[in-house]
Amino acid sequence: SADDAKMLKGLEIFNETAGCAACHILKAAGSEGNVGPNLDTVSLTVESVKEMVTYGLGVMPAYGEEGILTKEEIDIVSFYVANSAGK
Amino acid sequence: MSEMEVGYMKKIKNKLNVNRRNFLSGTAALAGLAATASVVPITISNANHKEGTKGLPNFISWKNRDALIVHSDKGIETHRSAIGESLITPNRNVYIRNNMPTMSDSQIGDKNSWEVSIEGVKNPKTFSLAQLKKLGHTTIATILQCSGNGRGYFEHKVRGSQWKTGAAACVIWTGVPVKAVVDACGGIRSEAVFMTSAGVDHVPTGLAPKKAMVERSVPKKVYLDAILAWEMNGVPLPNAHGGPLRMVTPGYFGINNVKHLGKVAFTTKESAVKYMKTSYRISPIGKKGPQYPSCWEMPVKSWITRPTDETGTVKAGKVQIVGVAMGGTRKVRSVKVSVDGGKSWKRARFVGPDLGKFAWRQFALETTLSSGTYNIASLASNGPDKQPKLRMENRRGYAHNGWMDHSVNITVV
Repeated sequence: SADDAKMLKGLEIFNETAGCAACHILKAAGSEGNVGPNLDTVSLTVESVKEMVTYGLGVMPAYGEEGILTKEEIDIVSFYVANSAGK
Repeated sequence: MSEMEVGYMKKIKNKLNVNRRNFLSGTAALAGLAATASVVPITISNANHKEGTKGLPNFISWKNRDALIVHSDKGIETHRSAIGESLITPNRNVYIRNNMPTMSDSQIGDKNSWEVSIEGVKNPKTFSLAQLKKLGHTTIATILQCSGNGRGYFEHKVRGSQWKTGAAACVIWTGVPVKAVVDACGGIRSEAVFMTSAGVDHVPTGLAPKKAMVERSVPKKVYLDAILAWEMNGVPLPNAHGGPLRMVTPGYFGINNVKHLGKVAFTTKESAVKYMKTSYRISPIGKKGPQYPSCWEMPVKSWITRPTDETGTVKAGKVQIVGVAMGGTRKVRSVKVSVDGGKSWKRARFVGPDLGKFAWRQFALETTLSSGTYNIASLASNGPDKQPKLRMENRRGYAHNGWMDHSVNITVV
């Protein structure tokens, strides 16, 4: 389905394009980074992830504001994280 | 701009993006992965599960789960009722807010050999913890409070942990006065304007220091109150709170109390790292930048700890209303309590010992409540300043000391 494709693309952005995996634990992605919050311990909405990814926080880059990811990529990775976190 | 120019601009932007990506997901991030994968692995323990809540991460498995609200494994808050009814907050109940992962015993190594360099002094030197212990010895009580304590009351969408009252603790520190260390280095260079402290907890992550190093500048005068602490509430400073050595800047927000301290420099300029330059700036909603004030001095503040909404309903009759009040960088002078949402106020009395102007005072007001609903608020003053009714709106939800949001609603039956 379209959502499955989005999840797959989101995983790729998470682990490779954006490198989220370097700083976050997320079982679904097999990532073990330990700089930012462990995403398995938090419940997130697509909107809250989008905010965070766009504007950053502390050491986390502002992927949107700084033009590191496109708006579409942010939508996809936010969908992926919100649907994978806190499980 | 012509279409061609627009296309050209896009290309340049994409090129920049690629470079940034390489930086982020290339060497730096890979180094981070390599380092963090082997270091401080965090698994969530299920042993201490409370119904519907999460367990504690391994690095603080020694903490009191029942006293804590787990926002994430890096942001853990103390319940309103658990900050310590004997003035000091027990270590097991003290909140956790980490910008960098807590360093492990193996990363720290022999604690007495831990080194801190002192710069911007007449004779720059590096001291081991063992050497620091010979330079001086003092004990002080201060309030450790996250800049974002109270963020959970802001109504605009604020990123970050939604702390209510519990990103704060009153702690007794033991260490060496910074003044004694400076004197051992021949004094501060006259041109210095700031005391700039840097942690080394970013090193194991492999991330670029400019982005990840917790380096904080405060006005130079703070050195007269500051200590380098190795003990917290009577035990060696736990790694999770910045052990084996932490800068303590009395009256200043938590972030300035740099953990895993590696350097203290007396500088002419503020640090240029992200955590100084752009983070922790108090700016209007929708605005940001280094031109706005940094999270430095804490304002006067108080809140009720008992009875609270956490305890459910309260029995009618005699009630002890208890709380804590802090003056920020001045001594707290008085605190008033209201049980009717601020329509009328009664002066509470301070109880317990006075541990100095940087500690909080406990207060108590005995009253009799009949059945009904009540809004209980407290309002502290340090002389020149008292708590405002409303929060100061700001982008990142910092420095909240408005009394109304911090009040509690209780039902008396």
